[in-house]
Amino acid sequence: MKQKLMILGLMSSVLISFQQIGHAEVVDKYWGTLKQTYFANKTLEENNAISIKAPLRAESGAQVPFEFSVQYPQDQSQYIKSVTIIADTNPVPLTAVYHFSPDSGKAAINTRIRMESDAYIHVVAETSDGRFFMNKVPIRAAGGCGGSIGGDESLARQSAGKMKLSVKEDNTSAIKQAHLLIKHPMYTGLQQDLVSLGYRPAFFINKIVATFEGKTVFDADTYIGVSEDPNIQFPFKADKSGTLTVVIQDNEGKSFTTSTEVKVN
Amino acid sequence: MALVTGPVSATPLPMNKIAEGVYVHIGTHGDFDKDYHGDMANIGFIVGTSSVAIVDTGGSYKVGTELREAVRAVTDLPIRYVINTHIHPDHIFGNAAFAQDKPEFIGHHNLPSTLSLNHESLMRALLDVLGPDANGSEIILPTKVVDNVMEVDLGNRKLHLQAWPKSHTNTDLTVLDEKTQTFWTGDLLFITKTPSLDGDLKGWISVNEGLKAVPAKMTVPGHGDPTKDKNGMLDRQGAYLNLLLKDVREAIKNGVDMQKTIDTAAQAEKPNWVFFDLINRRNINHAYPQLEWE
Repeated sequence: MKQKLMILGLMSSVLISFQQIGHAEVVDKYWGTLKQTYFANKTLEENNAISIKAPLRAESGAQVPFEFSVQYPQDQSQYIKSVTIIADTNPVPLTAVYHFSPDSGKAAINTRIRMESDAYIHVVAETSDGRFFMNKVPIRAAGGCGGSIGGDESLARQSAGKMKLSVKEDNTSAIKQAHLLIKHPMYTGLQQDLVSLGYRPAFFINKIVATFEGKTVFDADTYIGVSEDPNIQFPFKADKSGTLTVVIQDNEGKSFTTSTEVKVN
Repeated sequence: MALVTGPVSATPLPMNKIAEGVYVHIGTHGDFDKDYHGDMANIGFIVGTSSVAIVDTGGSYKVGTELREAVRAVTDLPIRYVINTHIHPDHIFGNAAFAQDKPEFIGHHNLPSTLSLNHESLMRALLDVLGPDANGSEIILPTKVVDNVMEVDLGNRKLHLQAWPKSHTNTDLTVLDEKTQTFWTGDLLFITKTPSLDGDLKGWISVNEGLKAVPAKMTVPGHGDPTKDKNGMLDRQGAYLNLLLKDVREAIKNGVDMQKTIDTAAQAEKPNWVFFDLINRRNINHAYPQLEWE
């Protein structure tokens, strides 16, 4: 409960500041505080090692396409360990942390996020030897954190956890591209019922782990800033045929598994 | 609950009498952004021999107040029913202007829960676009819901209310005035203004066909001019919705990503609509993630 109140407090302060900015240019003014929260005492090197692809103006805050790729070696001696996405003005700015290994082949993700208002999205990558790279983009968007307007909760709960997993056929590279779709309402816990004044409990996927032939190739911590029906493309290394398995877990502790065969010629 | 009473000097909203006892105010096409003025949807009222029903109340307390003044310029009969055709802010935020009449607020059976869970974000968005002009606007939940169909009697005048499956939104309700066969579609029908999707594309295509069977001499769309040619207008809307479905499906099948699809899908329909670029892109953003599950 205490945590909920804090989140609400943050939300109303965000609202006030948002009204002050109006629809002027997106202003990068929250990062100082957020950097302290998530990367206290770390030196972040702001550079172009991380390339980001996202719309300047999103059509809807509910499903904002967001893609990044880190130009850095991904082998045993040197690799990107993790990449964190922070949506500066969201009620819960920490959107996702993706963990990579040399078996990932590459540190790159294509996904969709929620945005409550115009904001900078900061992306921070941590290297295996403890360096931090940062890059950022401004995106104009609004209203994505209320949760979807439509939606039958019992239906949503019935189908929550269903997955579609595919791997793009590509014989030119040992790095394959997996595409994972998860059916899930990703309830934020921030929707207050007008009559009971209670909150619809948060209900979201908080962990995604992918293994290829027993080796972890991708691992993500996800939060309520990830869009409803999470959609994630991630790379992994496959130099021989085998099974790609994905295990996901929600915040209520339920887990779901799917897998697909990957053919390598 | 302290109610703000309407300013005595509110100017009555200009109305068109489109049939005996049926009055419509035609909203000005716009989008829910900084230029929003609260008056972009078609709203109105129907007068029987014993009472009045309001069909949608406009997008702010101010617009609702002006609609109430327009009723009072025509009749002193009590306003017993306020019908909301769906959840969108441009149709519901005038509700508070009618609270003093203590009417039944009627909506689709999904409206109470959906409105209730989204009240905070709807209110916040309204304040953001209207600022002080949002004053007095509040969310008022239905006091009566339509599960499937319902009849409302205004005195020698029956209204047939029908709740539809998830299509434009998950709260769509239509109103048919039996006496004059005037049919209010809410946002299940857009004329001139690009149809805006906030529900289920395939559901809307199916409801679009279903609406053709409703007997109507005059049809009031949620946006655009009232028409005697309901089915012709539904065909136009259907052409857009079907092209949107076809193009997005094809894009997904061919591995074209969402952002690229937003730039390209349904472009052939652009000459037929206003606000096309804005709304079509949003529709694709809404439909693409749903259709990936086919």
